[in-house]
Amino acid sequence: MKRISALLLTLVMLFTLTACGGGSNPPAQDSTPPAQSDGGGQDTPAPADDANLTETQKIIKEAEGMTLEELARKAIEESNGKTFFGVGNSSRGKSALPLFIEYLQSIDSSYNMEFDWQQPKNNKIFDQLTADSLKPEGTFAMTLIQDGNQIESKMVQTGILDTFIPKEWAEANGTTADSYDGYLALQTLNKVFMYNNTGSKSYDNCWDFVAEGEHGLYMDIDSEIVGKNFLYMLTEDTYAGWLKDAFNALSADEQAYFQPTIKAMESEAADLGLGADGAYALAWIKLWVESYNAQTDDGPICNTLVDKSATDQFGLLVYSKLRSVEESSSVSVNNINVAAYDDGYTGIGGYGYCHYLFVTDNSPLPWTACAFIAYMTETVDGFSAWGKDMGGYSSNPTVAEGTEAQYGHSKGGMAEDGTTVEFEAKNDRGYDWWTTEGKLVLEDPEYCADVAFTVGSWVEMLTKYSAG
Amino acid sequence: MNQTATLQASKSTIFFNKVKTFFSKPHNVILVLMGIVLTVTTVAPIIAIVEDTFKIHPGTIDAHLTGQAAGYTTVNYIDLFTSKLAKTNLWTPLLNTIWLAVGTCVVSILFGGVFAFLVTRTNLAWRKYLSSIFIFPYIMPQWTLAVVWQNMFNSNAVTGTSNGLLASLFGIEMPLWWCKGLFPSLVVLGLHYAPFAYILIGGIFRNMDANLEEAATILDTPRWKTMCKITLPMVKPAILSTILLVFGSSMGSYPVPHYLGLTTLSTKYVSMNSKFTGEASILAIIMMVFGVAIMLLNQLSLTSRKSYTTVTGKAGQSSKFNLGRVGRYVIALALVVVTFFTSIFPIVSFAFETFLPNPGDYSFLYTGDPSNLTTKWWVTDENVSENGMYGQKGILHNETIWRAFRGTMLVSVSCALLAGSIGTLIGYAVAKSRRSKWANYVNSVAFLPYLMPSIAVGVAFFILFSNQYINLFNTYTLLIIVGTVKYIPFASRSSLNSMLQLSGEIEEAAIIQDIPWIKRMTRIIIPIQKSSIISGFLLPFMTCLRELSLFLLLCTQGFILSTTLDYFDEMGLYAFSSGINLILIVTILVCNTLVNKVTGASLDKGIGG
Repeated sequence: MKRISALLLTLVMLFTLTACGGGSNPPAQDSTPPAQSDGGGQDTPAPADDANLTETQKIIKEAEGMTLEELARKAIEESNGKTFFGVGNSSRGKSALPLFIEYLQSIDSSYNMEFDWQQPKNNKIFDQLTADSLKPEGTFAMTLIQDGNQIESKMVQTGILDTFIPKEWAEANGTTADSYDGYLALQTLNKVFMYNNTGSKSYDNCWDFVAEGEHGLYMDIDSEIVGKNFLYMLTEDTYAGWLKDAFNALSADEQAYFQPTIKAMESEAADLGLGADGAYALAWIKLWVESYNAQTDDGPICNTLVDKSATDQFGLLVYSKLRSVEESSSVSVNNINVAAYDDGYTGIGGYGYCHYLFVTDNSPLPWTACAFIAYMTETVDGFSAWGKDMGGYSSNPTVAEGTEAQYGHSKGGMAEDGTTVEFEAKNDRGYDWWTTEGKLVLEDPEYCADVAFTVGSWVEMLTKYSAG
Repeated sequence: MNQTATLQASKSTIFFNKVKTFFSKPHNVILVLMGIVLTVTTVAPIIAIVEDTFKIHPGTIDAHLTGQAAGYTTVNYIDLFTSKLAKTNLWTPLLNTIWLAVGTCVVSILFGGVFAFLVTRTNLAWRKYLSSIFIFPYIMPQWTLAVVWQNMFNSNAVTGTSNGLLASLFGIEMPLWWCKGLFPSLVVLGLHYAPFAYILIGGIFRNMDANLEEAATILDTPRWKTMCKITLPMVKPAILSTILLVFGSSMGSYPVPHYLGLTTLSTKYVSMNSKFTGEASILAIIMMVFGVAIMLLNQLSLTSRKSYTTVTGKAGQSSKFNLGRVGRYVIALALVVVTFFTSIFPIVSFAFETFLPNPGDYSFLYTGDPSNLTTKWWVTDENVSENGMYGQKGILHNETIWRAFRGTMLVSVSCALLAGSIGTLIGYAVAKSRRSKWANYVNSVAFLPYLMPSIAVGVAFFILFSNQYINLFNTYTLLIIVGTVKYIPFASRSSLNSMLQLSGEIEEAAIIQDIPWIKRMTRIIIPIQKSSIISGFLLPFMTCLRELSLFLLLCTQGFILSTTLDYFDEMGLYAFSSGINLILIVTILVCNTLVNKVTGASLDKGIGG
């Protein structure tokens, strides 16, 4: 037995040594960096002409010239009596599909389609789509997916997903499918800084969230990767500039606390090839990563902050979570403030990331996928699965306007009389406000993919705060 | 001469006859078949995961470092073991994992062992009740105790969250080491696995011949010396078995360290998988290496255990320690209190949670106002209007929950039937050829998946079945295959132990009567050992019902109940997760009671036979 144990141990060690020994030649660092998109977009196997298009891409090209109704007729022809498989980061695709089927039935009452909508966890959506792409004809017709960085490097550059730009969506945005260069976003979601106001503390500058002794509640950046993208985006010149401006608005005492960290980051910023204000971004990121109190999801963060016992706690979480808080003796939406809504607040108010829509390149139902995508991005009903709640903003200005008219999120916190403010935090100020005055940091897939192994590797090196 | 020549058979005929004779024995056929099948189902996933560590994955660190989008490289090994992140990504999680596994073993053996001693070797009061209630933490999904721990001990001042029950009601703020990290993780897992120790150690205590202890008493040996020199050595095999079972299980536990903020190899695997895919697979391999090492230890312990069989197998009589008229009630009361918090309180808190207006909102407790309670989490039948339900229907009307329940039942019943049948056959065949090396190999290879951390087994099967030829992600077929392979040891171990107790003469008598094998099995062997065999079906069923780590990476949330439960827990929708917990517990109890009534078998006769 001992001999067998020794033999096995030796084998394991040999195996490890062989593996390590194989690396005597250092890896070619960036020798042939992966191709990058020139506009956050699909430049992978970007076909030079129609002859190089895959079957799905040909259909997409044709579909991009069609109206929703024309697409719907194609979909009816293609998918009547079949099953539609979709996969997405949002569970609400499951709510949108029955509405889409109803819409198709309004054109052809005999139409029927079964559907299955899956929502994988733990980043498995990328593995699932990759595995499915290996088959000649895939299972999934389309996807609704987040995390521009991974989409770019794992899905688009590899030719697994294709972008379809619906005609009427493009028109509403004053562009055309040919001239639009980017992914198709269904919506932008915002994660915003909120704090419990039952104590005396207030947060009037985004640097307050990384001040000494602060531990904001935040989803772990390794569990929700868009949180990491937010940190990457901070190093982009515009957002680094915002951080510098906010720093300049601090009192001299407050500045003195942050100054050494900013100073220390100057050489790091230079090494990482960041712009002039890069050190401010790195300092904020470092202080944030080393201080935030990791949580499993935004739900528990919201549950915590609205409780009166969470005095002086704050978090960075999805704005829409406030919709489901039920008032009780100890829980109230009025126990929290949205930092960016406070008068005199300076600096970033949170960050925005998109849910993108794609057709799989081996889609079994490409016409139906295009029609479903067009339906969600071109009609208020199609977007209603998301639009009925605050904090999700359609990428189609016409749909966004219709959604606001139907659901009135800007007055979501008003009492029934329509004039008394009942819950200030629930009066959603809308996408335009958030991206200007609210200083929302917006995810740019191309930039994120660009810095994922420069700034990204630097972030990995930081020691995360551990409450345990 | 000619006569001699006619008697000589050709070599091929001899070989053919030998093969024919070999395969005329059903247990040999079983061994050959199972050996081949189990080798494939165990080795193929390992090969797949090893290959994955050398593969270049687009958009991940290996693609970045090699500058290639496809192909093979050793860069994942180099980067994991030698980069600046080695401490963060490998050594610290590895150390935490080992501490967690060791700590869990200690807690489960101490708690389960002492409990087993008190229940089996003393005149403790209320033993029947205590014995039944003790296994509850094993019935419940392991992370639900972690959630209960958080709800109990978190506080604004210490954990930077809202106040838990202790802080809300009594203003008690527990220190950070108590609320988060290694300590609560090993306590929670220790409590979860303590029933293992109870069943295994209790089994030996029950059958132990008291003559040895009595002899020591007659020789005026002090009580502590009797305990150290006689009692403990006798239960050593059971302690070793507990270590073997608990070490691997706790090592591969994902949800408990995840909820309690401890970085282990399992949690690191999940967090690294997006950007360091190949390196994450190496972590899974490291966990598997521990599994193999544990199996080797198991072999050693099996060898050494032989010397104890004469003691445990022929119990003449057993005497019980007298705890005293008062002592037997005082100790029993203490245990009732302890088991209340480990077994009853979680269930009560689950039930209570489903009536709170918001997750974790205990307003009712300090106001006494019934308007701070609601039935909405159960009875809401629409998800159109926003009424604090996060877009979900109530539990009774929630299709996701009930579809997941049906999925779980399908997977659990299938796994129980397959694992139970295969395991029983393996146990039978191995017992019949216990000296054969092949039988030992089959026995070991059947046991190996159980010793491998669940998450690593899940990863390996995910990689194996995600290719252009077979893509089984998110199918019940995959879950049933993985569950069967993983749970065969429950049945094979239980079956082997019981078959070894069975004298060969019984079957031989039937063979002489020319009774076919099927009839021998169904009319003689299975009826005699039905209790252990049924336990071999019941344990996979029960374990499968609330398995998460194994299935986490193999299906989407909403597919089975445990992933749905985890989804709601992660989202902070504790009313739904608590409701699901109650459904699971009731299901297990109903099934256990039914099986118990019909067959006389029960859970506590499971592992160890």
